[in-house]
Amino acid sequence: MTRPAFELPVVGATPVDHAANAAAFTADAARTTWHDESLWFVREKRDRAAASVPEWEALRARASAIKEHALTHLDEYLVRFEENAVRNGMQVHWARDAEEHNRIVHGILADAGARRLVKSKSMLTEECGLNPYLEARGIEVIDTDLGERIVQLRGEGPSHIVMPAIHLKKEEVGDTFHDALGTPAGLDDPTALAAVAREHLRARFLAADATLTGMNFAIAETGGFVVCTNEGNADLGMALAPVHVASVGIEKVIPRVEDLGVFLRLLARSATGQAVTVYSSHVHGPRAGQALHVVLVDNGRTRQLAREEFWRSLKCIRCGACMNTCPIYRRSGGHSYGSTVPGPIGSILTPGIDLQRFASLPFASTLCGSCTAVCPVKIDIDAQLFRWRQRVVDAGYVPRSKALAMETSVRVLDRPRLFRALGAVARLGLRLLPARVERLLAGPWGDARELPAPPSTSFRAWYRRNRRGGRR
Amino acid sequence: MSTDAPARHDASGAGPSARDEILAAVRAALPPGVERPPAVETLASVLTAGSLAETFIAAATAAGAEVTSCDRAAARVALSSLTAGARSAFTFASAPSAAPGTSDPHELADLDLVVCEPALGVAENGAVWLATSDSMARAALLLAQRVVVVVAERDLVRDLHEAYARIDVRAHPFGAFVAGPSKTADIEQALVIGAHGPKAFTILLVHDHQTGEPS
Amino acid sequence: MSAALFVPCYVDQLYPRVAIAALTVLERLGIRVDVPEGAACCGQPAANAGFARESHSTLERFVDVYAGYERIIVLSGSCALHVRLHAPEVLAHGGRTDRAGADVAERTTEFCAFLHDEVGVARVAGLGASYDARVAVHIGCHALRGLGLARPSELQIRPFDKVRTLLGAVRGLEVVELARPDECCGFGGTFSVGEPAVSARMGRDRLHDFTTSGARAVVSTDVSCMMHLDGLARREHARLPMAHVAEVLAGTAVAP
Repeated sequence: MTRPAFELPVVGATPVDHAANAAAFTADAARTTWHDESLWFVREKRDRAAASVPEWEALRARASAIKEHALTHLDEYLVRFEENAVRNGMQVHWARDAEEHNRIVHGILADAGARRLVKSKSMLTEECGLNPYLEARGIEVIDTDLGERIVQLRGEGPSHIVMPAIHLKKEEVGDTFHDALGTPAGLDDPTALAAVAREHLRARFLAADATLTGMNFAIAETGGFVVCTNEGNADLGMALAPVHVASVGIEKVIPRVEDLGVFLRLLARSATGQAVTVYSSHVHGPRAGQALHVVLVDNGRTRQLAREEFWRSLKCIRCGACMNTCPIYRRSGGHSYGSTVPGPIGSILTPGIDLQRFASLPFASTLCGSCTAVCPVKIDIDAQLFRWRQRVVDAGYVPRSKALAMETSVRVLDRPRLFRALGAVARLGLRLLPARVERLLAGPWGDARELPAPPSTSFRAWYRRNRRGGRR
Repeated sequence: MSTDAPARHDASGAGPSARDEILAAVRAALPPGVERPPAVETLASVLTAGSLAETFIAAATAAGAEVTSCDRAAARVALSSLTAGARSAFTFASAPSAAPGTSDPHELADLDLVVCEPALGVAENGAVWLATSDSMARAALLLAQRVVVVVAERDLVRDLHEAYARIDVRAHPFGAFVAGPSKTADIEQALVIGAHGPKAFTILLVHDHQTGEPS
Repeated sequence: MSAALFVPCYVDQLYPRVAIAALTVLERLGIRVDVPEGAACCGQPAANAGFARESHSTLERFVDVYAGYERIIVLSGSCALHVRLHAPEVLAHGGRTDRAGADVAERTTEFCAFLHDEVGVARVAGLGASYDARVAVHIGCHALRGLGLARPSELQIRPFDKVRTLLGAVRGLEVVELARPDECCGFGGTFSVGEPAVSARMGRDRLHDFTTSGARAVVSTDVSCMMHLDGLARREHARLPMAHVAEVLAGTAVAP
């Protein structure tokens, strides 16, 4: 029986407690080191790739400007994309929310009599909960990205948007394959396991009635779209299945073909440190005899677009660089966020979907700014995290004790004499109280840290004694 | 505003369609307009070392391809030998093959070798552009165990900006930049060559150094 | 030029030696600074915790106390960044003009940035400071990425490091190269108590990088980072002296 790597946090109506999930994750110190170093390694590969492109910062600025232009003219580009896509022989559908998306996809499959679906990676369909919806209606759904297939076999969600199984050790993958695919017990060599997966999945590609892909980019100018993979799984699906459904969030539309030069030069380098993914597939129409359906999905994106403080989060091209660099993500794992998209970008997208449930996410950060610095489309992630914190407090989703502590501290700091007096008391306390008691009073701070050695005087008191003045 | 596109699948039936509602929501939500940035040619990459060919070879090798530089005659010889040694071979073509026979891509499941002549190669990332309207060719590219690519040095471009300026993505329903054999690192970041697609990718980079040589 | 020194609340109460060192350095450089009363805090900790509205009065008080100074030197990267970003939001009220907040923001600078940009390394070298040790330099993230104290490792721009340049003027001081040049120490204000497990883990990892890279001491631009790292180090009984840049330049830093 495969043991899950660790307990998944309960995803549902109860608010996600990122701090508690993170504490559970870090309790295994060695595993945390392994997870942290795996992701830091990817960050370093990204750095080397970026350093090899002298105009890297100019590319980022360009990509950001193209995305902001596209998003601020989104209606025009969506209409243009649809016109051209239809002209190319695609059928275009629109879905207001996850439920409608799932109904449309199921409808297409049912109309075609399709019962075996192969999927390539689409975070959007994760977000919509497509797999369980289809499975409940008798459709076999196979995730074909190897990482996604692994977590699918384990009954988990992906923990990273680009490397879905980054949280798993090869022994755990071996156990899963032993349970689900009958590989020998104890086989954990990645090459051998991947070879087994290759045969297992190729059989599924050949037997599939339909395929579903996401889109990395939808091109308004030509009515086509681009799908990037290293494994070729999207292409195998598209090359063989008689029905192809391509689901995409409306924010993924870009204006022109030439814009792809900018985005594709940034995407793989940011994501994995490769110059480009093995396959960057451009689709401009169905294969002969194939039905090609596009589903354009809103599901809260127009709500985010309307938020002056947060619409720029929609520039995201799903590279995952922010996750790889985030010191908190690396030490708490993607599952600790309880959201489809985790990490820094998840923490500015997801609160917009359900502020109460995801209230802890914007606080799972030190606002160090590393995410903002690696983002290929220059999303001001740290600034948006700061602003979401204000919204969480305004909405009253911060624990009452914390709110009280903040209000008290503000009142003290606004009163210099009171502050001086309390400061003196605190320093006196630090000198007189036993260390054990001090640590207790210091709460969570004192659990891990010694308190500072108590100075006998404050700076201002010293200044008043040793320097004249203090007023202009 | 442009006229409505032809009838589309509308799951809801009566009332405003999902399309109408979504577009209305988008229009209501639009932030203040940001202008399109100036033209892309100002971003042409600066190759800091080596010729186009050297850069391409290094990038393709880093992507897991095996690259051999040769003249056209040698390329022809290598190709014959590779094809002869293969259990089965398929030549990737843009247009559907005129030959009768199989037209079901599934029948290429056990294909050993696919041979391609891309329109261009991209020096900065070692990728080649392969485009086709032929379903068989498209499937062959992914089902074959091995890929052999013949690309001329004079068909190398510097970067993706130049590539997009040269190709017409609309010319075929399918076109891909392909860089090396398929791969995955999804199991503990261990690189495995040959994920679901081809396991080997050979590039014959053809130079025409002797003039008068028939191509 | 009229200048004032702002000493953040926790430095005032818990690390006065750093403020004394900073004042000493400025005085020796011939820079006269006031230390006005009336504003203990800039409002940053509460604002970063989501209470920007509640702490607005604190920022207003800061603007009122420091308006009129041509230069406001702040002994904290986080506080300096907060003032520069948010003081312009302080509106005209009472005796305050429309521009009061924006003016204060523009004139606010962090201590090390001030020394590097406006005093110059040559004059700082004239202090004749020495610190005989191999040190790890820790620039607080807000100072680094927010105020541009050095090139962040993520950015592809020409390398520069104002803090290393200043420390280059200190005899005997050798800076070690870290495995992760600028990873966050994990303090993050209320993050340190709101996410204690990750905060402590980040701090310990940072300390580990310092020591395995050969550092025998730590020099930092931010007392908040120091408080966090030093607390963790002493809990592990590790001997790793930590000093603010000001203390090294003033000659009051304890060498290992």
